[in-house]
Amino acid sequence: MRTRLLIGACGAVIALYGAFLELSRQDAGQWLEVGIWFGAGVAGHDAALSALVIGVCLLGSRLLPEPWRAPATIALVVWGTVTVVAVPVLTRAGARADNATLLDRPYLATWWAISAIVVVLVAVAGLVRSRRPRARE
Amino acid sequence: MTPRLAPPTPEMFTSRLRSPAVTARVGLWLGIAFGLCFVTGLISHYAQQPSHPIPFPTSPSWGYRLTQGLHVTSGVAAIPLLLVKLWSVLPKLFEGLPLRDPRALLLTGLERASITVLVAASIFQLATGLFNAAQWYPWTTFSFRTTHYAIAWVAIGALVLHIAVKLPIIRDALTSDIEVVTHDRATATSPGPLSRRALVRTTFAAAGVAVLATAGSTVPWLRRVSVFAVRTGEGPGGVPINKSARAARVEESAMSPDWRLDVVVGGTTTSLTYADLRAMPQHTVDLPIACVEGWSAQGTWSGVRLADVLRLAGATTDREVAVTSLQQAGAFRRTTLPANFAADDRTLLALDLSGEQLSLDHGFPCRLIAPNRPGVLQTKWVSRLEVDA
Repeated sequence: MRTRLLIGACGAVIALYGAFLELSRQDAGQWLEVGIWFGAGVAGHDAALSALVIGVCLLGSRLLPEPWRAPATIALVVWGTVTVVAVPVLTRAGARADNATLLDRPYLATWWAISAIVVVLVAVAGLVRSRRPRARE
Repeated sequence: MTPRLAPPTPEMFTSRLRSPAVTARVGLWLGIAFGLCFVTGLISHYAQQPSHPIPFPTSPSWGYRLTQGLHVTSGVAAIPLLLVKLWSVLPKLFEGLPLRDPRALLLTGLERASITVLVAASIFQLATGLFNAAQWYPWTTFSFRTTHYAIAWVAIGALVLHIAVKLPIIRDALTSDIEVVTHDRATATSPGPLSRRALVRTTFAAAGVAVLATAGSTVPWLRRVSVFAVRTGEGPGGVPINKSARAARVEESAMSPDWRLDVVVGGTTTSLTYADLRAMPQHTVDLPIACVEGWSAQGTWSGVRLADVLRLAGATTDREVAVTSLQQAGAFRRTTLPANFAADDRTLLALDLSGEQLSLDHGFPCRLIAPNRPGVLQTKWVSRLEVDA
């Protein structure tokens, strides 16, 4: 217990040091924007993204026959999280007309192609599973 | 089936996949990714300081390329891990507070506050890092570098605190079988579409796919599979460009026949023309450009040794050198090259890249290229070197 208290106290001191760095090196207007980003990040995840995932899972559990659920879940985890990682390249928000070496791939077309392949893979995997004897768990 | 509009409660989440057994296993690797990201971030921050109380080494020349590649890669890997980890603990968001017991209320309140800080700081770090790597700056006031550095301490501190609070559960979950239900909520019993083991493996696979899909910006043999990498690695001389001459507003001054390299040694200025530099002994080195944004590329650079230029102007090579660009604005218009970098034989004022004259976007007429140095400090369009006598 004492060790945990010590580790916890170290953590708190480190976090407060970070807060001190931010407060001492940036001005009030800048803290405010960081605060907005903090709030938007948490709200974007806890309210928007979580609700979306719950909705998709609910829909999947109602609409998809059992053999397709496991492949669809695996696909959702991989495709969904990789899509989140790809947001900055999919939007191409940082692209600049004067720099052809930046964001120089057909990101959106690739994403559509991958998405289509994922759908086909899930469909095939479910089909294979549905034809297999249900002895395995 | 009457529609309910009551706020959600933890009991409403029935999947047995939302279990501390899953959280601890994903969290372990998330913690490792955060730790790696933090340490490599500190290295990068230190490398970018104008002066180093402990000298930053010039060898290995690929050191910064490795650490900054790891920084961005571990950050990318952390995104799927964080999303699944947060998914696994979502019911906790709707837990009530022990309102009748002041001591428990205080402790619970403090823990909830620390977790809010941890989640907010984690999302902030991953989002701003990811955006920055794609040169997308959707913030308007705060400095990315200062804030990403400060909030890294907030995130890692809150993480250490969180681990201290959860240590008994983490230890228990990691030493028991993944199917053990000791720490599960009472209602988390419905089987779900996957086994817990399959969910954890899928999460690790997602982190792996995210890395493969992006790491080609810094790992050349991954270029073909990294379909979501910010850069293919193509560019003039086989090296991509971060800031173009047009963006830096140096097109005119860099192409001007009046361009001179001024070498100021203790108040005495020696002006060198482009032809003067070409007439000096030329050297060729293979050095990487490793950008803070995580991309990197090896280049074959030719030009004059910085140390030769300094000696020509009467300077010794045991002092730091202020390097100024033609750029009129920007935080890195003027950079400080530490003495150990100035003295290194591999540090060049490059005139050629891959056997061709340096392109305007790569820093024509001449640019600094030094081993093991963040790309942002490899000053392009150099116009002035200053050394104390």
